[in-house]
Amino acid sequence: MDARTLLFALVLALSGCRNPPESYAPPAQRQPFESFKPYAALRIVDMAAPGANSHFIQDISSKLENGAWRWTDKRPTVRVNPNSNLGLTYLIDFATPEITFKKTGPVTIAFYVNDHLLDRVRYDTAGRHQFQKPVPPDWVSAGQNTTLAAEIDKLYIAKEEGGKRYGFVLVRIGLLQ
Amino acid sequence: MAGALAMAAALPSLAGAAVTCAACYGLGALLLARFDAPLRPLERFPLAFLLGAAGLHLAIFSAMALHVAYRPVLILLLLGLIGGGIVADRSRTAGGWAEYRSLESLAPEPLALEPLVQITCGVIFGCYTIFYFINAWAPESSPDGSAYHLELVGRYVRAHGFEPVTTNMYAGLSEGVEILFAPAFAIGRHSAATLVHFFFTVILGLLIYAYGCRIGKPRVGAAAAILTYVSPIVGITGSSAYVDVAAAAVVFSVFYWLEIWDGSRDSRLLVPLGLMAGYGYAVKYTVGVMLLYALVFVAWRARRLKPVLAVAACASVMILPWMIKDWVYLHNPIAPFGNALFRNPNLFPLPEQEWTQWLRSYDLANKWTLPLQVTIYGDKTQGVIGVAFLALPLALLALRFRAGRRLLVPGLVMLAVYFANIATRFLIPCLPFFSLSLALALESAGPLLALLVVMQAFLSWPMVVSQSSARYGWHLAHFPIKAALRLVPEDRFLRETSPGFELARMVEQYVPRGERVFLLNGIPEAYTSREVLVGFQSSLGLTLQDMLATTWSEDSQPTRMLLFRFPGRSLRRVRLLQTARLPAPQQWSVHEVRFLNGGMELPRRPEWRLRAFPDPWNVQLAFDNSGATRWRSWEAASPGMYIDVDFGREQQIDEVRLETSPDASGVQVELQAMERGRWVPLAGRPDQRKITPQGSLGRAAAFEFNARGIHYLLLQDGDYSADLVQDDPGEWGVSVVARRPGGILYEVRP
Repeated sequence: MDARTLLFALVLALSGCRNPPESYAPPAQRQPFESFKPYAALRIVDMAAPGANSHFIQDISSKLENGAWRWTDKRPTVRVNPNSNLGLTYLIDFATPEITFKKTGPVTIAFYVNDHLLDRVRYDTAGRHQFQKPVPPDWVSAGQNTTLAAEIDKLYIAKEEGGKRYGFVLVRIGLLQ
Repeated sequence: MAGALAMAAALPSLAGAAVTCAACYGLGALLLARFDAPLRPLERFPLAFLLGAAGLHLAIFSAMALHVAYRPVLILLLLGLIGGGIVADRSRTAGGWAEYRSLESLAPEPLALEPLVQITCGVIFGCYTIFYFINAWAPESSPDGSAYHLELVGRYVRAHGFEPVTTNMYAGLSEGVEILFAPAFAIGRHSAATLVHFFFTVILGLLIYAYGCRIGKPRVGAAAAILTYVSPIVGITGSSAYVDVAAAAVVFSVFYWLEIWDGSRDSRLLVPLGLMAGYGYAVKYTVGVMLLYALVFVAWRARRLKPVLAVAACASVMILPWMIKDWVYLHNPIAPFGNALFRNPNLFPLPEQEWTQWLRSYDLANKWTLPLQVTIYGDKTQGVIGVAFLALPLALLALRFRAGRRLLVPGLVMLAVYFANIATRFLIPCLPFFSLSLALALESAGPLLALLVVMQAFLSWPMVVSQSSARYGWHLAHFPIKAALRLVPEDRFLRETSPGFELARMVEQYVPRGERVFLLNGIPEAYTSREVLVGFQSSLGLTLQDMLATTWSEDSQPTRMLLFRFPGRSLRRVRLLQTARLPAPQQWSVHEVRFLNGGMELPRRPEWRLRAFPDPWNVQLAFDNSGATRWRSWEAASPGMYIDVDFGREQQIDEVRLETSPDASGVQVELQAMERGRWVPLAGRPDQRKITPQGSLGRAAAFEFNARGIHYLLLQDGDYSADLVQDDPGEWGVSVVARRPGGILYEVRP
């Protein structure tokens, strides 16, 4: 490779380089829009959502599995804050996995809103399930914390894991509107 | 009559694929005629196809780069290559036949399979081929195929060439197979592209069998071809608009050319070898490792530098176009990776780091479960290669044979790069080597090998997989013959099988041409011509996503202030230096930096010059007076990160305020001033205060969306914040445009 070719190659290579910009002037200044409203309270708690833990009350594993779900204990319970008590539907996406189902057999899960029993459903097969049911308006107060729970009747106790308790697999739980 | 008309709609996809594949073969035949490779007819066909694919990819790349990739141009190119191939084949079988025959005699004589083996293998191969073909012919609904492989192809076809796609990280990947999809897509749309990949799958099977024949062991070849071909992950991937099976075929062809070259030492063969090795990189970055293997192999066998340089030079012809394209468009020749090395405004390093980390784990806590995961379960790694591969340790017995050693080494090389992405389909390039080694090891135990093959064929049959422990993994599950023939309309089929298809059509219907729509998670973008901007796929997308998160996540809101107070001084240049080293994903975030004197904030003046490191391009976000925006390092916080302000003239200052969020609580910031060309500390440790964000963050975020030309927002059920926006769209500065099951399309009006 002669010197001219080398120089040409070098110039070509350097011409492709991009230096970071030197500096910027301040941008146009924004003005605040009306008053600030905190939005921390969600109606549906997705197990994968950042900050989901802040809605947990009990019986939900702190460990997120597969980037999507968490193991529960007997009565997983979360807190949500609906801005209305009208037209609400209890929603839960969950699974009764084969690994626990083989040991427990069919299970019954009771669904609660503010400790009111909404329904009790028996699940005869392993797999993914969804439960939805309208919530009576007088069980919930708009703008107030509302507890949602789902209680499984049988737990799988893993002796090989020192008696660790497994309820079911929870994906999301909340109130549809 | 209606049925016949509907079926006619299925023909363009066949035509598109057929013409593209025939052109690959045509060009391959033309190129092979120049090398006089000692090939048998059985191996000539797949090797010619793959070599032609490599060449055609360059031709289409050139047309795309020149923006002349119009449909007639592409069709003429394909027809010309088909014509050339026919001429080349004729001259080979006429004038050049005697020479061809003499070269052919260099290879061992093919051995015949026993009739029973022939019939068994033929039936298995035939049944699977029909199943794969029908699935590939049906409307394309695979996750990545309809989300980005074909979305980018469609985009290039519509633009008649490449476009600088800076908002989709997948556009940075080399697209050596996708670019072959382009002419097929231009003729027969999505399914045509998928059928091209299906053809690569058939080619891979033929090539494995041909190699078995080359080493004088057709039974080994047939068994290995079936072990690979029927593998559930090969089936679903090869019947989708993916590139992994094509990558495997290219990898195996590199090995094949190495063996042919090693047998003849004809230096002309280094050209197809180098081209194919380079094409591997063009098809898939991870496959680029096969070039290193080829270089080492050639160096080892030739003991001279010249052949190695020849291979490298030919490979660079295939590799450089993709590197240059990325450099020009994305300022990073290996995008979407290496963003910490090639800093650029399009892709942040930290998300890349988190993404690649996830690809290495797929949330699989115990890597020792990987063998069972990729052979039996596949629920985490998205599919299985088949139960037969549990017998893979037996392949080590093939080390007794020279051929076995030759096969296992490249297989292990490909296995090494598999750990960069442990999805099962990343094992596909290893399968030809492992299948052949396994079959070679068990050749002397004929019944055992036969049992293994039949078992793999039975247990991999889609309906059997659907009933097995592998049913939660990605696999073929249906035989959509009516959809393939378009007796079931394409729209109906896709609505039933492709989650998000309805949303893509909604975007197409309601978002005006030229407008962009922002999403937090992807949809089958190949089914809309509108520009879809998905949050995690670019720096811009992540910045917008962060604005949305700031509106509802307390952790991201500007509720924390660091207050630096010092005796009033006249200063021209000040910087905030971050001094802590924090583990990823903890990063430095700054909502606003304010300078005060006597309790009054200095108005930000146009002559101020703002600089930042490591993301200099977004420093203005810390000086825009918006609570919804923030400058972020987008790298794990480390000492040396800074925000630097030059006031342009001396300014009297006695206080600096840095507004930040709780998620940046681990960082430590030092205030410095420039004095006589050196940075010196200006104040001690800052006081901390809690503050309340000003104004509606939702509408502030909407304002920022609008300022960046994003006027549409699609939130899907399950997206963070979807329910909040749905509850009170006005508060978020958006209004509902349309609803479909699964999501709502909003227009952004702050």
